[in-house]
Amino acid sequence: MPGREDDRALGWAAAALGGGMLLHVDRVPAWVSAAALVLLAWRLAAARARVRLPGTIARVLLAMLVAVAVLLRFHTLNGLAAGTALLILMASLKLLETWRRRDRMVLVAAGLFLLLAACLDRQSLLRAPLYLAEAWLCCAALAVVATDGFPGRAAFALAGRTLLYALPLAVLLFVFFPRLTGSFWSLPRGEEARTGLSDTMSPGSIGELTTSYDIAFRARFEGALPPPEQRYWRGPVLHDFDGATWRRGVGGRAAPWELSGRRYRYHVALEPSRHRWWFALDIPAQSPDPGVLLTHDYELMAARPVTDPTGYEALSYTGARTAEPLSDWDRLENTALPRGRNPRSLALAHALRTGAGSDAAFVASVLGFLRSGGFVYSLEPEKLGPEQIDDFLFRTRTGFCGHYASAFTVLMRAGGVPARVVTGYLGGEWNPVGGYLVVRQSDAHAWVEVWLPGSGWRRVDPTAVVAPERLTRGLLDLMPEVMSAPTRLLRGAPWLLGLLQRWDAANAWWNERVVKFDYGTQINLLEHLGLRSADAWALGWAFVAALLGWLALIAWQMQGGAGRGQRPDPVARAYARLCRKLARTGTARAPHQGPLDYGAALAAAHPALPGEAQALLALYARLRYGAGDPATRAREAEAFARAVRRLRVAAAPG
Amino acid sequence: MSGGGEPEADAAAVRAVLAALETVILGKPRQIRLCLACLMARGHLLIEDVPGVGKTTLAHALAHLLGLAWQRVQFTSDLLPADIIGVSIFDRAHQRFDFRRGPIFTQLLLADEVNRASPRTQSALLEAMEERQVSADGTTYRLPDVFFVVATQNPHEQLGTFALPESQLDRFLMRVTLGYPDAGHERELLRGGDRRDLLPQMPAVLNPAGVLRVQQQVRAVHVSDALLGYVQALIASTRERADLKLGLSPRAGQGLLRAAQSWACLDGRVAVLPEDVQAVLPAVVAHRLERREPGGDGNALAAEIIRGVPVPL
Repeated sequence: MPGREDDRALGWAAAALGGGMLLHVDRVPAWVSAAALVLLAWRLAAARARVRLPGTIARVLLAMLVAVAVLLRFHTLNGLAAGTALLILMASLKLLETWRRRDRMVLVAAGLFLLLAACLDRQSLLRAPLYLAEAWLCCAALAVVATDGFPGRAAFALAGRTLLYALPLAVLLFVFFPRLTGSFWSLPRGEEARTGLSDTMSPGSIGELTTSYDIAFRARFEGALPPPEQRYWRGPVLHDFDGATWRRGVGGRAAPWELSGRRYRYHVALEPSRHRWWFALDIPAQSPDPGVLLTHDYELMAARPVTDPTGYEALSYTGARTAEPLSDWDRLENTALPRGRNPRSLALAHALRTGAGSDAAFVASVLGFLRSGGFVYSLEPEKLGPEQIDDFLFRTRTGFCGHYASAFTVLMRAGGVPARVVTGYLGGEWNPVGGYLVVRQSDAHAWVEVWLPGSGWRRVDPTAVVAPERLTRGLLDLMPEVMSAPTRLLRGAPWLLGLLQRWDAANAWWNERVVKFDYGTQINLLEHLGLRSADAWALGWAFVAALLGWLALIAWQMQGGAGRGQRPDPVARAYARLCRKLARTGTARAPHQGPLDYGAALAAAHPALPGEAQALLALYARLRYGAGDPATRAREAEAFARAVRRLRVAAAPG
Repeated sequence: MSGGGEPEADAAAVRAVLAALETVILGKPRQIRLCLACLMARGHLLIEDVPGVGKTTLAHALAHLLGLAWQRVQFTSDLLPADIIGVSIFDRAHQRFDFRRGPIFTQLLLADEVNRASPRTQSALLEAMEERQVSADGTTYRLPDVFFVVATQNPHEQLGTFALPESQLDRFLMRVTLGYPDAGHERELLRGGDRRDLLPQMPAVLNPAGVLRVQQQVRAVHVSDALLGYVQALIASTRERADLKLGLSPRAGQGLLRAAQSWACLDGRVAVLPEDVQAVLPAVVAHRLERREPGGDGNALAAEIIRGVPVPL
């Protein structure tokens, strides 16, 4: 029959396992957590109230049942999500047959495995303390499970010390362990719902995005920042319009273009989204990565969705011109309009185009129409009818970037000027702590590019004529009412904003330096450390050398600990301190010298030494070697330590 | 029995014994203290020295001052075990054997020049020392509660001596070497005449019951875990040394601890300090250890052992 000590150890092991499960509670299906909870409660009830536990056959059936359940839910037992769910369930079942020390060890090991899975799953800075806490709990549980009657507080102290010992080793592993490209730990991600620009847009769709405070990416510039009104971050470029929704085109031909304007070099740290877009300022000069395509309309499109934080160096210009005429295909695609829709808009466009002498004059007159037509910028416009553009231009006259970009493009195309909608982000908040721009989903924007003969695609932002301040100020500053209450509260207080920026900077550092620490970064760092042309072998050797060095250091430390009697209690610590102080006289205690002999040696060498030192040595001799009841001893030990702290010993001259 | 005052009285008596001894054996306070500590720890004492430095005088003085009955046996090569232990003699009147007790039935036996006797006689003595009893003709006779052997031997190899083997040496708690007195004390000695003449003028300071009480006190001196650890480390260090034939035995360890208690008691302390252990260590271990390479002073070896083991903090 298991004793009380076994039950206590079981409790610790179950806590370590439960901690691991908690890390996944928002990821696994609810029934998995519920089942784990029931099994845990069952086992603990069995320990306390002697509830019956299932027999072998029942346990085998249960195991098969949960395996089937996981298979039905995930259609696989492989992969991170299914594997985690299976591990949680199986470890909970293991609880039901936990009798011996070995079984409890298995539970703690399962807790550690769940921690590992959580690390593979999510690596945000916010979760790092949670992972650390679970590692600590598991180590402490291991101590309690391994030794009967190990006090909980001492277990945490021991585990903490052990983890501290391991910390330099972890850093060494982190820096030197060869990062294999195409590594097995970059597991495929499950479906993750993330916000971000999609490759379609209907006039109202961006509005949903603008209330999101999530970060889209961060950009760190070399040299000067672009002025606020130049911070157009290009995303999907949309060509096809069916009267309600804009879609990407089928692809055109890239006319050779000539980059112009200011040149910006910067680093982008992209947050995960479920899309393939990489963002760059205005006109990117080249693709930042072999896996990313620079399209004919200057989009950056990756081969795979951005599921992990991604960093890249980018080079952009604020303008591009081409003298070549637009190809017939491109002209056709960018002037196409749904047949028979929005007749009033078409009529307006024709009227304005006849009055204008050139395409450029036509652009100006349409902008003039928007400026003077009583249009209002609002994130909560009225719902539009089936003829969206007509309804917007002639009835509601209220909307935001999506509405203005859509309407403007339709008017341009109706007037025969090739035009396309560009979606992306406008702006970015300067983080003075980290020295970078933060671009949030709320900065999502849509603007228009029109083809002008002789110069190529030119950016026109119709929203800017209605709400010029949108250019220079973030949407959140412009209309704080769109923010959720907590976000508004956060941004309300300057000190809180500062704190937020600090936190964001820490996150950026974490993502760039820790999560994204890959082979390239490693090589860079090593070259920085003087290890030139380091390859995997050199890394391996450096790693092995560092590992051996650290283990030797720990061994040496433990050797010293054994020599000191392995009990650095307060009296011993205070005595060591006293000896250090007295050594300043020039007469140090020999290791084999007892306290009274040392006192005699001191008295002989330094007659002027205060008598207090001798008294302390005698007191130590009594505390260490004398008899006495523990309470008195503890009091005297404290007094001794205090007196040692207070003792002043003059250093020997010379 | 006056209860609480007794320990103080006994302590004073021990101090008086020390003082009186110092007037008999001049200039050797440390050796005298060791000898007294040895007896207080219920240990047997081996005094090793050249003739004429006061070995016998010291033994005599100890017995006298402690108020003990004592016997002296001069060991020679023809001495038989029966000469020490006693002999059974047939009593014709009662038709039975009567055991005539030998000189060992005393409280302090001075075995002079113990290395002159044959091994057989030596071992008879040493067995009695260890067992504190004597067996003769199938009967066991207990020795008195207070029983010490103070043996003397001449270290220099001489014709007709049988050196005590290590196993026998182990039974002596301490080996003390007196050595020649320094110039000042030697002059005083020359001026003062035979020191043994002083003894009859001195009163006995203690008695057998007092000696037993002092021995009890020694056993009550506190030994902390820290000190036990230190003693253990000292003993272990002798076993780890490659240059010694043999490390210290557990009996040697017990003796070292007991002797240290005794030394602390002589210092008027109630707990043993590492200093006490170090003070008695040369006398306790030097005769039990032997280097593989002959040569080297026992005291130097003891100092090496002490220096090799750090005192626990």
